[in-house]
Amino acid sequence: MTPADLKEDSFKNYPSAARSFAVQHLALLRQFPLAVCPSFLVQVASLDTRFPRERETLEWQFHSLETLTDKQRNELFSPLHSLRLPDDMARMNWVDNSAVFVEKLAAVLWSSGQINVFHAASRTLFDAMPSPADNTDRLLLIVLGRDADTSRPSLMKKLARKGLRLEAVDKTSAQEQILNALTERAKSSPQSYAHWYVDGGSPWMMSAENVVQTSYPGLSPLRMYVLDRMRAVLRNGQSGAEMMRSVMAESTTGAMQNGRVSTNPVLQRFYAELFTEGSGTQVFSTSFVQWAGRELARRAQPATVLLRYAPRQHHRGLNEMVEDPSSSKMDPQGSLVDAEMNAFYNWIAMNRITSPGRLTTLAWAEGSSRAVLIGPKTQPNTLSKTPITIAQALRAMQSA
Amino acid sequence: MSFSRILAPHQIAASRRDFLRGAIGALSATTVRNGLGAPLTALKPAEKTIVVTFGGGARDEETFAEEGQENIPHLLGTLLPQGTFFTQVRNGGILGHYVATASIVTGVYERFNNFIAQPPENPTLFEYYRRELKRPVTDAWVIAPSNGFQKIGGSSSSSFGPRYGAGVILPKRLLSTATRGALNSSADDLQHLLQDNYEMPDYQVASSSQDRELHLDTLESTLRLSVADFVKHAQTLDSADELSVFITRRLMDNQAPSLMMLTLHDMDVAHSGSYSLYIDAIQRADRLCAELWQAVQSHPEYRNRTTLYIMPDFGRDADDDASGNGFQHHRTGSDMARTTWLLALGPNIRQNVVVERAIESIDLVPTIGCRLGFSANTPGRCIEELR
Repeated sequence: MTPADLKEDSFKNYPSAARSFAVQHLALLRQFPLAVCPSFLVQVASLDTRFPRERETLEWQFHSLETLTDKQRNELFSPLHSLRLPDDMARMNWVDNSAVFVEKLAAVLWSSGQINVFHAASRTLFDAMPSPADNTDRLLLIVLGRDADTSRPSLMKKLARKGLRLEAVDKTSAQEQILNALTERAKSSPQSYAHWYVDGGSPWMMSAENVVQTSYPGLSPLRMYVLDRMRAVLRNGQSGAEMMRSVMAESTTGAMQNGRVSTNPVLQRFYAELFTEGSGTQVFSTSFVQWAGRELARRAQPATVLLRYAPRQHHRGLNEMVEDPSSSKMDPQGSLVDAEMNAFYNWIAMNRITSPGRLTTLAWAEGSSRAVLIGPKTQPNTLSKTPITIAQALRAMQSA
Repeated sequence: MSFSRILAPHQIAASRRDFLRGAIGALSATTVRNGLGAPLTALKPAEKTIVVTFGGGARDEETFAEEGQENIPHLLGTLLPQGTFFTQVRNGGILGHYVATASIVTGVYERFNNFIAQPPENPTLFEYYRRELKRPVTDAWVIAPSNGFQKIGGSSSSSFGPRYGAGVILPKRLLSTATRGALNSSADDLQHLLQDNYEMPDYQVASSSQDRELHLDTLESTLRLSVADFVKHAQTLDSADELSVFITRRLMDNQAPSLMMLTLHDMDVAHSGSYSLYIDAIQRADRLCAELWQAVQSHPEYRNRTTLYIMPDFGRDADDDASGNGFQHHRTGSDMARTTWLLALGPNIRQNVVVERAIESIDLVPTIGCRLGFSANTPGRCIEELR
């Protein structure tokens, strides 16, 4: 079956919002090349349990393509139509199992030497549907370094190069003021899924409406479910990385039902996919927090995010960590190095979705007087030894 | 989705060269665009060859770029001044470690499934070498991580194949077998040497009579190392790569092979998302390369007659590439992920030279061929600066 064969009935197994969307945009779906149609259907099929911003983004993308002329669309799709795919891929049930198709497609494109053509054509396609203007003021708060020595001069050097290094932060009030910043923003701008707190360890106590809170220990039932699936692959002894990936890709549905951590299906999906799509999230809390921050930026596009890194477990062999995930031996110093790089990636991810001059980032080394501030009024690679509170630092960014 | 600016290969090379110039001033005077000075034809080819690949890929940011230089003091300060450094090596094939390593040893971009252990379709370096130069079976060896690499010593090519292939040693697999059934405490002590990652989780590939893998029962006769001593020594080591270098040195002492390939793989722990572990592994690889070169120079069979090639199989994804996740993977196929470097050292290699022109990872086999005197049927080309 090719996309041109799609009919309304093709989507009979989709949930209601997904089915409506597919039927509404059937004419465009039928024009898509086979190499990209299932990728869009992965998003369409799960539309009922996607964040509002993801639904808006998908709607916008389809609208952008539908408003092009036939000639423009043909030019965009032509390189993707020219990709050579094995016949058995067209015979797959890629409407209902689009994720499996996409998984196989990647392998085919690599092995047939067509991956560069695909990447270039995909890039051109996405360039043709630029994101609408977004004037959201965003705040990224990062806490790292718990239980580690954070005194070395190079602490958070990648972030510090982008902004102002603060060396005299009032550490006694820092936690409270970081939480206040989050709750105040949630109070003044109470959209759903706009304000988040993700913790890699036992979370700070806080009570705030309109803040989605989650933590690595809190998602333990989901993590254990996914580790169970990984364990089965490893114990099999004859299954390598490809089987592992397939099992993980197919685990989201199971993780939606099992390992229940939220009554909200949108959150349940998001949390499940942090473990089924992330690499290392199942064993390292530092990888989990980084991936959660990245995926939040990409999918929910929140206004405020607090990410708190905690020590991850000490490194052991992958098999051992999967077999025995409850190690109590921690590696705070290694975790600090991980978190420094991860915090930089979190800044990149939030920066990517924010208009210039509208993102403020504050990263604090927990328990210390050291932080980095990047915002509309900071200069790259600068240093301040003036005593300051977190609240004062953040306020300085607002009064531009 | 947005896509950020990505460096083109020549920009990556220029960046690498600039950082090198800053790091070791001596190089700037001898940096050449072509690397061709006096002809080398009068020089005798090296008699022994060791290829070290980094299976895991290492980025400039963590190696030859300014802030990465602290991770590679030995490569930068000790080895690079003794060799010729190529700043721009492009891997145009599949960016998976097994298939990329297979492509390096065949000189052809192999297209098979990276995740299934299988022999390469095209003849390997070892087969060309052994068949044309009539070298014995003990003269070519591969030391590699355990996941599927046991098929890499020989191809499925009908005119070559296993009878001309290299012996393969998978130290982790040997150790795993040696400790199976051992008391828990002993086995637990060695878990850190058996680590695998998300790209290549440990799995047992069925052996065939075509494989030329060294098994535990021939450990003693080949390496003059009892299983007990092997396990005992392993307990003193920090990582799988250290174990691989230990085995390499035992091979040098006991078989003195003329052609060896060693794949260091610890740094692929990056797939778990842990930057600290990735950096640790790069620092370890840096130290191990220097130790290997030192061992070569102090070994009567190898001193002054060995060419060492060090080359990561490819890079990793760029920090700002939206379709990747930075150092963690090598999935974007971008220039940053495809571009790496090559350092060659040896008695007939120009010292303290940086070559900027682009070469490909598949050029290594024909280069070794033209230096040692065998031909290879590959699309790669003999690297003129090393001829």
